Amino acid sequence: MGKKRCVAMLLAGGKGSRLYSLTKSLAKPAIPFGGKYRIIDFTLSNCSNSGIETVGVLTQYQPLVLNSYIGIGSAWDLDRVNGGVTVLPPYSESSEVKWYTGTASAIFQNQNYLSQYDPEYVLILSGDHIYKMNYEEMLEYHISKQADASISVIQVGWEDASRFGIMNTNKDMDIIEFEEKPKHPKNNLASMGIYIFKWKVLKELLEEDNLNKNSSHDFGKDIIPLLIEKQKKVVAYPFKGYWKDVGTVQSLWEANMDLLDETSNLNISDYNWRIYTVNPNHPPQYISNDALVKESMVNEGCIISGNLEKSIVFQGVTVGKGTIIRSSVIMPDAKIGNNVYIEKAIVPSDITIPDGMVIKPNKDVDEVVLVTEEMVNEMIS
Amino acid sequence: MIRSMLGIIDATTHMEDLEELTAHRTLAALPIGGRYRLIDFVLSNMVNSGIGSVAIFPKYQYRSLMDHLGSGKNWDLDRKRDGLFFFPASMDDANTSGIGSFNHFSANMDYFQRSKQEYALVANCFTVFNMNFTPVLERHLDSGCDITEITNNGSSLEIYLIKKSKLIELIHSRDDKGYTCMKDVVIDINNQLKICEYEYNGYAEKINSISSYYHVSKDILKPKVWNQLFIKERPIFTKVKDEPPTRYTSTGEVKNSMIANGCVIEGDITNSIISRAVKVGKGSSLKNCIIMQKCTIGENCHLDSVILDKDVTVESGTVMTGTATSPFVVRKGTVQGALMNS
Repeated sequence: MGKKRCVAMLLAGGKGSRLYSLTKSLAKPAIPFGGKYRIIDFTLSNCSNSGIETVGVLTQYQPLVLNSYIGIGSAWDLDRVNGGVTVLPPYSESSEVKWYTGTASAIFQNQNYLSQYDPEYVLILSGDHIYKMNYEEMLEYHISKQADASISVIQVGWEDASRFGIMNTNKDMDIIEFEEKPKHPKNNLASMGIYIFKWKVLKELLEEDNLNKNSSHDFGKDIIPLLIEKQKKVVAYPFKGYWKDVGTVQSLWEANMDLLDETSNLNISDYNWRIYTVNPNHPPQYISNDALVKESMVNEGCIISGNLEKSIVFQGVTVGKGTIIRSSVIMPDAKIGNNVYIEKAIVPSDITIPDGMVIKPNKDVDEVVLVTEEMVNEMIS
Repeated sequence: MIRSMLGIIDATTHMEDLEELTAHRTLAALPIGGRYRLIDFVLSNMVNSGIGSVAIFPKYQYRSLMDHLGSGKNWDLDRKRDGLFFFPASMDDANTSGIGSFNHFSANMDYFQRSKQEYALVANCFTVFNMNFTPVLERHLDSGCDITEITNNGSSLEIYLIKKSKLIELIHSRDDKGYTCMKDVVIDINNQLKICEYEYNGYAEKINSISSYYHVSKDILKPKVWNQLFIKERPIFTKVKDEPPTRYTSTGEVKNSMIANGCVIEGDITNSIISRAVKVGKGSSLKNCIIMQKCTIGENCHLDSVILDKDVTVESGTVMTGTATSPFVVRKGTVQGALMNS
């Protein structure tokens, strides 16, 4: 294998338990997003657009859909003779399978993959964020700062700061303190879970962390504090632009709605920074005489005979006559019957919503509704 | 057995009546149905019928066709064994009146001789249909015919099934017998061959003029036709693009139309087919239109019975009107101004 300057390791094993039934049979990075994509498309497209051509994708939880989706990476132009995409599931060493117990142990267990490219830098990414970022610019920053590690940070609202890992920096953007979900944040620079390390430095730290019985082998909880403790040069890379962790039903819905908001910074129509995906082969969408489509995004293969307002509709969806769908996300191949009312909901893939069903948030809580098979069965019986 | 047919697509056809849309491209590469090219139908039908080796014989303006087909990956034809072959004709080749020029074939005899398939399906590139060819081969084998000609409503679809060894024989003897193409053989009453017909009952329309192109495009909007062409189990494959889903704003209304991906629709659209990455501005209305890829239509335009070829820009305030029998056709890459037609 040829030497690579920078290899990306994409952590895609997350279970996403706060997404409930959406992740019952697939990993969080494989969840459909934005009418056409899966969450992981954003990170893989960023790699492709940033010229990072060697990407290890670490999968563990419900990997079937994700593994076959990624394939050899051709959708993202990452099927390369030297490098390209490699899916890295846990494997057995001698007699027992070594599951990835934390984000750091996942990298530690794949040292051999990294070593074969003898990289100078390793870029650690997560597969569950929606954002567009040029990693090459971050790498140049990392090199110019002569850092051992760089952490990408974004300014969050002060009221949200206690939900994130907060980086306290000096005026040169050196990180002097890291606080995981602080009650009283001193700063509002949140870690985006994107790191660049000198591979030599990371390798040593991973080996040390592996021997520490008390470690949870997590980048945020263990590796970053260890770096600071050892007085390595850790710098913050300030990122400006759209970034969202879509770990909850609410945030997943919000990020979808952001696509419809022309004032949001999330633009997926930029030809200079395409979001690539596995393109299914469907005929164009058909909007019938009975339909009324307003402020919505609709993908190919849909047959729309009802009303859509502020909604995102994925490929292969049918919407029956007299149906009204407002502020909702309808995932691939869902069949929505006639005279259905859906408001502020996420309708999962392949589900059939019977005629006349009403789905809307409970007035008192106004939470996004995640439609489930159980709800449908209850309606039918 | 299903692997034993070669797919032969004659992509040399040029139709005078389609000049406005085929000046820059061969007929096989004519965009249709919002995201397809004409050749996608016959090519996908072959692939869906289990044909794993397809040879395309183009002649004129085939750059766009090659760009569209690429390695054949989108049709699952980028294979180590068999796959997609491309045999352009030399320009001094005489034109033939029908599908399957024997001269053109004879220049590429290696393909016929080296392939292991026993039968060859020789087809045109300009029919819009979704047909399974497997039953045709079954019937051909059962009936002991030399040539099976596929028909629709009794008239020839210019698609022929023939044993490959028989085809090679016909190619070799073309000068002695005076046959230039498959059609010559079939219509010769003294051909001493057993010619059979296979009647196909489904939707099948040939595109040979602007009016048939327009008519078939409008047909595609009818659910009855749509359901026969776009079948989940037998998809029409095409070159896929990384366009985002289409975005509709609060200002437009769309009725009875097919819209491809990557569009931004701010105006009204009725009974129309809109291809990928088209922009339609506020206050504009489109009726009975076929709009090809990447056209930009400004604000307050009114287009009725118009065909816009690719990359056309329509400036704000433009009015264009054609008729149901004679649609207004705008050439590729041109700019249409508000003052031009007033």
